[in-house]
Amino acid sequence: MTFLQALLYFTKEAAMNLIRGWKVSLLAILTIAVSLFLGGVFLLISGNLRLLIEGWEKESKLVVYLEDEVEPETRGRLTQELQASRWVSDVQTIDRESAELRFRTAFPSMADLLEGWEESPLPESLEVQLQSDPPPETAEIEAWIQELRKEPAVLMVDDDRDWLQQLETVVIVLEGMGTVLGGILLFTAIFTISSVIRLTAYLYRDEITVMRLVGATEFFIRGPFYMEGLFQGLAGSLLATGALFGAFRFADQGQDSPITSLLTSTFLPAGQVLLLIALGCGAGLIGAITSLHRESLASGEEEAEE
Amino acid sequence: MIEFFNVSKKYPGGQVGLDEVDLKIEKGQLVFLTGASGAGKTTFLKLIYREETPSQGNILVNGRNVSSLPRNKVPYLRRTIGVVFQSFRLIPRKTIFENVAYLPRVLGFDFKTQKKLAYETLRQVGLAHRMNAFPRQLSGGEQQRVAIARALINQPEILLADEPTGNLDPELSEEILKVFLEINLRGTTVIFATHDRELISRIGRRVLTLDQGRLVDDRDPREDPLPLQPEEPEKVEVSP
Repeated sequence: MTFLQALLYFTKEAAMNLIRGWKVSLLAILTIAVSLFLGGVFLLISGNLRLLIEGWEKESKLVVYLEDEVEPETRGRLTQELQASRWVSDVQTIDRESAELRFRTAFPSMADLLEGWEESPLPESLEVQLQSDPPPETAEIEAWIQELRKEPAVLMVDDDRDWLQQLETVVIVLEGMGTVLGGILLFTAIFTISSVIRLTAYLYRDEITVMRLVGATEFFIRGPFYMEGLFQGLAGSLLATGALFGAFRFADQGQDSPITSLLTSTFLPAGQVLLLIALGCGAGLIGAITSLHRESLASGEEEAEE
Repeated sequence: MIEFFNVSKKYPGGQVGLDEVDLKIEKGQLVFLTGASGAGKTTFLKLIYREETPSQGNILVNGRNVSSLPRNKVPYLRRTIGVVFQSFRLIPRKTIFENVAYLPRVLGFDFKTQKKLAYETLRQVGLAHRMNAFPRQLSGGEQQRVAIARALINQPEILLADEPTGNLDPELSEEILKVFLEINLRGTTVIFATHDRELISRIGRRVLTLDQGRLVDDRDPREDPLPLQPEEPEKVEVSP
């Protein structure tokens, strides 16, 4: 029998097994679909968050707040020094009036806080746009910012990258949670598939005994069961991917909150979709292989005739 | 040719299947294997088609030592040996054709060849017209003939029959025995396990008698007539 003939035979037998035991097969498919769907949700959220962080990192700024009584010469010198730095692409001076205007625009409900002052309470600042390509070395730029903080004219330095790093930690935690949860659920799916296939093999034990007696090889006997596991894994992963895409589109269309819109900006890249499908198929195959150790198929052949 | 060299089989728990059996069965012989229940008839047959391995000794089947045959080579040995059981072991959900054509299918023959081989083999046992029937639609004798056809489809050199008439009435037993005799006439070595001494005596061929795993008698009635010692026939429940 050629490999192609064997493959066709396995496919046909596996399809028949799936149809005959559709209820238990459906259970296995749903188990794998749920585990991959939840894993996919974590992947989707963390992927979108990562994209978001990358975008913000490109726009990240240093805001150098100046002391109240800074001489124009000092401000000029500081601006020149910043512009000369190899990590800086642009420096913009924000005077008190511009700062107040920005505050009022960004936080209209808190505009009252600025009332009653003779002069704007918001300090003058220099907004420093950092080079994004290539991104500055963390250790070097940290040292440079520390030096900047020691300047007498500098009140404080606010670095956007501080909270972006915290956000990155959140993404890493999310990815870890997704991996652990997905892994546990995938293990459950493997166990379910393994049980379903063991049950099928038990139902077909008489047939397996006959196959052995007429000289069928183990490959020929086990092939349909491996294919069945593979089909269950494939069906589960396709179902999970479809459901994930449906949920993504649903959230994308009804994006009335900024968080939803941020998290549904892009779907999983093709590589990750293929990974989910490969994981499903792999889980199905592993489930089938673990269920079909020799002893599990030998139950029917020891029947005594004497 | 089948040769047993000092073969013993002991099961876990100490039960003896076979005890120091030495014998030779020539190619083309029809040999009856007899003995009471538990005498070791099934063990004897299982050792030949490598369902069991001996605890001691060696078994040569057509010059091949099956006792030391690697597990992955066992299917190839079995393709040269047909086995028929008392309980027929047909697959109820498959048609007679599908039951008989198992081996050609395993060997990758195309559907047309499978059908041709199944037809020819079923014709030998007089059931070519029932190819599309299911086992439940056949009588016990017909089911056993289908099982024989399945064992014969690859033209095996050896045919092993484990109480093939055990579930059949005397008339059907006679009918099945005739089929085996015809097969033997075509040159196939046949080992026919039965406890039916009357059946054996009517045919008059070599008889191997086992008792608690030991070969206690080996005679050919054509040279040394066997005394008639009818035993209580055993009944085994078999679902149709």
